[in-house]
Amino acid sequence: MSNETFEGMHPLTEALRDLDEAAVKCLVEREVEAGTPVMEVVGHLNGGMVAVGRLFAEDEYFISQLIYSAEIFRGAMARLEPLLAGSDPSEGGGTVIIGTVKGDIHDIGKNIVVTLLQGAGFDVVDAGVNVPAERFVEIVRETGARVVGLSALLNFTYPEMKKVVDTFVEAGLRGEVHIIVGGSPVNEQVREYAGADSYAEDAVSGVDVCREIYG
Amino acid sequence: MTEETSELYERRLGRYQAAIALEPTDRVPIAPGSNYFAEVYSGNTNQETLYDPAKWLEAEMAFVRAFPETDVLRNNRLWGPQLDAIGLRTYRLPGRDLPPRDQFQFVEREYMMADEYDALIADPLAFMFECWLPRVLGEYETPGSARSYLAFLKSGMAQGMFAQIMRNRSVQLQEVCGMPQPMTGAFVAPFDVLADTMRGLTGAIMDCFRQPDAVVAACDRLVEEMANFALSTADPLKRYPIFVPTHKACFLSPDQFERFYWPSFKKVLEILIGAGYTVRAYLEGDWGPHWHHMLELPKGTVVCDIDNQGDIFKAKKDIGHHQCLAGGIQDSEFILGTPESIRRRVRELCEVVGDGGGFIVGGGCNIPYTTKPENYRAMIDAVLEYGVCAADVSPRPKATSGAVTVAAFDYPKRATPWERKREELGGSVPGDEDLIRGPWEQLEAMAYAWLWQWTM
Repeated sequence: MSNETFEGMHPLTEALRDLDEAAVKCLVEREVEAGTPVMEVVGHLNGGMVAVGRLFAEDEYFISQLIYSAEIFRGAMARLEPLLAGSDPSEGGGTVIIGTVKGDIHDIGKNIVVTLLQGAGFDVVDAGVNVPAERFVEIVRETGARVVGLSALLNFTYPEMKKVVDTFVEAGLRGEVHIIVGGSPVNEQVREYAGADSYAEDAVSGVDVCREIYG
Repeated sequence: MTEETSELYERRLGRYQAAIALEPTDRVPIAPGSNYFAEVYSGNTNQETLYDPAKWLEAEMAFVRAFPETDVLRNNRLWGPQLDAIGLRTYRLPGRDLPPRDQFQFVEREYMMADEYDALIADPLAFMFECWLPRVLGEYETPGSARSYLAFLKSGMAQGMFAQIMRNRSVQLQEVCGMPQPMTGAFVAPFDVLADTMRGLTGAIMDCFRQPDAVVAACDRLVEEMANFALSTADPLKRYPIFVPTHKACFLSPDQFERFYWPSFKKVLEILIGAGYTVRAYLEGDWGPHWHHMLELPKGTVVCDIDNQGDIFKAKKDIGHHQCLAGGIQDSEFILGTPESIRRRVRELCEVVGDGGGFIVGGGCNIPYTTKPENYRAMIDAVLEYGVCAADVSPRPKATSGAVTVAAFDYPKRATPWERKREELGGSVPGDEDLIRGPWEQLEAMAYAWLWQWTM
């Protein structure tokens, strides 16, 4: 779905990129009233979230702006959801499972990633916090997701990340999933120890990995 | 205290204070702030650390015997029974809510609503009692109930018990082990009061966009409260820095930091420094875009702990000539690394960040619980090999200045000043007024500080 025209970015995409909450609200309302197909409106919003992610990657935006964009996006989606009736806003972007590993109940980082993924058109299964290794495997079995994201804030969870990876091996599913680790105490050394596939330095690079996987 | 222990204490404290002041000392201090590893090294569970002060102290004494080159051990801590008495909702505790060996965890919720800024700004104390405390203290959920009165009574008593525990601990560590504290007393930056325990991060960030003036006004209003709390809990002898963990600055853009975070934080820091204290600030997350502001404060007054995400070598270039830097070793290195990789890292840190002094070796704002003992040992050995700077200097503690004086506000803060009480007593008392006034004011100040600790 294209968000850019010869005239440039769609005003709704631009308003979300610029974090203009009032304008986003007003433009969504206008599109709804004009009878624009809902999936097209969602597409414009997705474009805005992608643009926000790009500005973050370029150090123009900081995490506070990611959080605010996520809230604006959530507000707009809440308005559109009743109109979606049967259509899938993820539009086949692929399924991503994400959760904070067992032993850790922190969710700020995970929640930012969840909304950015939704904004990028992925179908996200948020497994929540304190998620046991077996639960990640179960959800993969249920959904057929090809990407699993493990989040943590506390550094004593490294063995738990490894356990999740090992549990996928034991379940015979390791080859089916790409496992990403992220969070404040995580780095390349931790990825290697856990045996995960990717380390995401921040929320946006995590979304980028998902894009690569699902092409 | 034996002469030998006293000498050890003086050397350690002198070394630590010299590094903070960016003055020459014999070697790089091994003075991490939050040494979680020390708490569990003896095999203790995390529940025992929080619920059994004797076991906690024994654990750290065992740690000191194993690693006597360590220069300080931590003192800022929670005591489980105190939190239970009042039903504090912001923490999940090992043994109570979590497996006994898990780490305590902070629970962030929206305990203040977006439309309550005016109430907070108009009268913080009334706001606390009417809005915030009933939400954040489970035992005070129904103000006015018998249970709520008893909760305050129990918590006040627990406060006295905890103070005794900490005093005993500090004396034992000093007199038996010759061990000073890395910090005493604490506060959080005004913006973090909002973003940690009041609005939560998401709420506070939304407010920065939707009602920025209210956020700024609230932060300004909280300056005195945080300075008051910090001074009330600080070391009266001013030997140790006051602790401030900066939780949410790393989420802000430089513009937002300069508008919402720094002005009120700086005011608190200036009050504390003006009162004769140094501060130890955990610059959590990546403070790279913000830490140059530390140049605005007097030289050698704020120890900046650089977190795992921060680049301590960049910090050295940016502010290392003006403020002491601490940290440099990744959590993952302590947990997953090898003695050889730790040794290489410490060598580099001592040679670059330690050049010219003002460097304290450690992890990113902590030494992890699951540190490999051989890695901690490797850190020490490497400091002894590469961190010796001025072997001829014999470190001695600085002379500490006298009473705490605060120009910015009437310190310490009290809910009911003596003057009002005296009026209620008829304007004068027939006996010695000071005998009544002194304890009245002391208890008022203690109760006032008690109230604000729940924002930590």
